[in-house]
Amino acid sequence: MVKSFASGLLALGAAATLLSGTATSAWSFELKGEPKVAFIYAAAAKDGGWNEAIDAGRAAVEKDLGLTVAVAENVPEDATKLRAAIDLFVKRGFNIIVGTTYGYSEPIAEAAKAYPDVAFLNASGTTNGPNLESFYARTYQGWYLAGIAAGSVTQSKKLGMVAGFPVGVVNWDANAFILGARSVDPSIETVVVYTNSWWDPVKEGQVAEAILDQNADVLATDLSSTSPLAAAERRGASSVGYQLDMSHAAPEGILTSVVFHWDRYLVPTIKSITDGTWTPQEYGAFEGIDNGVIGLAPFGKRVPDAAKAKIAEVQAKMVAGAFDPFTGPIEKQDGSVAVPAGEKVSDEALWSMDYFVKGAIGTMPAAQ
Amino acid sequence: MSGFLVGWLAAIPAYAAPLLLAALGLILSERAGVLNLSAEGVMAIGAMTGAAVVLSGIAPTLGILAGVAAGAGLSLVFAIVVVVFRGDQTLAGLTTVAVGIGLAGVLGRDYVQKPFAGIERFGADAAPATGAFERFFLQQDPLILVTLVLVVAVWWFLERTRAGLQLRAVGEDPGTADVAGVDVQMVRIAAVVAGGALCGLSGAYLSVAASHVWVEGMIAGRGWIAVALVIFARWDARRALLGALIFGAAEALGPRLQAVGAPVPTYLMMMLPYALTLAVLVLSSLVGRRGTDEPAALGSIYLRQDKS
Repeated sequence: MVKSFASGLLALGAAATLLSGTATSAWSFELKGEPKVAFIYAAAAKDGGWNEAIDAGRAAVEKDLGLTVAVAENVPEDATKLRAAIDLFVKRGFNIIVGTTYGYSEPIAEAAKAYPDVAFLNASGTTNGPNLESFYARTYQGWYLAGIAAGSVTQSKKLGMVAGFPVGVVNWDANAFILGARSVDPSIETVVVYTNSWWDPVKEGQVAEAILDQNADVLATDLSSTSPLAAAERRGASSVGYQLDMSHAAPEGILTSVVFHWDRYLVPTIKSITDGTWTPQEYGAFEGIDNGVIGLAPFGKRVPDAAKAKIAEVQAKMVAGAFDPFTGPIEKQDGSVAVPAGEKVSDEALWSMDYFVKGAIGTMPAAQ
Repeated sequence: MSGFLVGWLAAIPAYAAPLLLAALGLILSERAGVLNLSAEGVMAIGAMTGAAVVLSGIAPTLGILAGVAAGAGLSLVFAIVVVVFRGDQTLAGLTTVAVGIGLAGVLGRDYVQKPFAGIERFGADAAPATGAFERFFLQQDPLILVTLVLVVAVWWFLERTRAGLQLRAVGEDPGTADVAGVDVQMVRIAAVVAGGALCGLSGAYLSVAASHVWVEGMIAGRGWIAVALVIFARWDARRALLGALIFGAAEALGPRLQAVGAPVPTYLMMMLPYALTLAVLVLSSLVGRRGTDEPAALGSIYLRQDKS
């Protein structure tokens, strides 16, 4: 066991050396020519959710760095379609290309190899290289804080969350929300239902109603559409939005929204590319609440001042690195130990999180 | 438990209605012999138009009607391509899907993700104290009732009226219908446009009644499910009703079981609507069937000079 672990480490080190291509440990990249930036979206840029949050970052890049940014929309998550778009941009002299979806991971890595002089960034991607950095954010930090808000207002001691697919990045949101709520009152339970789609506003609203029928009085959405919030508003329930400030969809019941501020990543990163100081990280950029990529939208009127104070306190601890929501002891849904006391869930374990913590009502499909 | 049952039953019509409306539209078109794959795109145009009209401050009822008109309009283009210019029906149908989704995306740009007050349910807030029937009824909306009326109307039109007979004749044997004095092209165009109106209504239902919002891609494959439903239902409006209800029931059940924490395999629940609907409709069409119900001239191009 020890031996295989050691040889695994060696192999990992060897792989890292191979990947970097040179003996130096860090990747470095030098931009040739004037910077020309292009963003590629898998759907409409103004989708009211994920893309729109990134597009706000694009606008900041234009404004703060004085760069003109080209945009391609509705480029499917399909290797040939994406590659055609990238080829066209490169041919026209674009040398900083930003992808915006997990589905671009593989084709963008191929393109990065084919065009070593072009800098690539990809949101929620899984691939990295000497001229490619994937970026995502520790969304669970925001969800833990939203959980505190939800736990402070619930009367029925039952919350709900509409989620997409049972994958790590979704499960950590749900679990952090549950942990945050239970830090207020350990008797709170949270119904989590997967829609098994990323984008179906009609179904998201219907799933929200199924949850509200279970007497949940705070409903959170981990997806992009506002229809779960509208369903909660109709029933007088409170709600938590995601991606952007969704208060317009539930002016009465909104507590807050967990929001992205991608400008906090995109502006400095693209600036470093143009300055020639960019060094893509081997495992991608994993931004958090400390540099403001993740945050909460302004609180709604139902959030009590005491909860606001507690959230501010916990947030300050997170920013200072003194608190992480996934610090043990954490129990799984069935009461078994997920994280022993004093230990912290590693980044790697976060990405493969495939369980609910205690206090969840719902079914986690078996892994794979 | 009865709370769960009522909640589940009350949710079914909203799942079933959009599928059923689109399926009825496709049945009209295909019984006249025009293979129609365009539902997904026509529904997108209907959904976008309905939302855009309501967001412009016009009454939701008129928004629904605008969605119907938009669906009919796009289908008129499809009808002209396949009936007048004798385009390939499969290709033209797929093209109409792309055009519908694309147009809806471009024209609907300013209306994306803007919630509005659309068609409301009979009771906005279902208080748990009310009786089971009342709780069921208050969860429905006026368009659910319209949908039920339309099922009967389409069935009655096709099976019991002279115009319906002519439409079916065109779909079974256009040459003979032509000899009998039926204007084959006009009947086909009318059937496709009427079908498009129903698909537009289905799309408008999704935006104006079901979700009160428009976003690109919100049809989310429901048009394709309607295409399959028509085949499973053997081009019969009554069986389409049955199929849509079964599909809706299975689809509504999954999230509700998850919400009570029932240990059911999620992926099995995802498959259930398709598997169950297929099984029931295949069985129902096997019972007491002779031959096929598929319109004999479905997908064929009728040229008068080819008549033998």
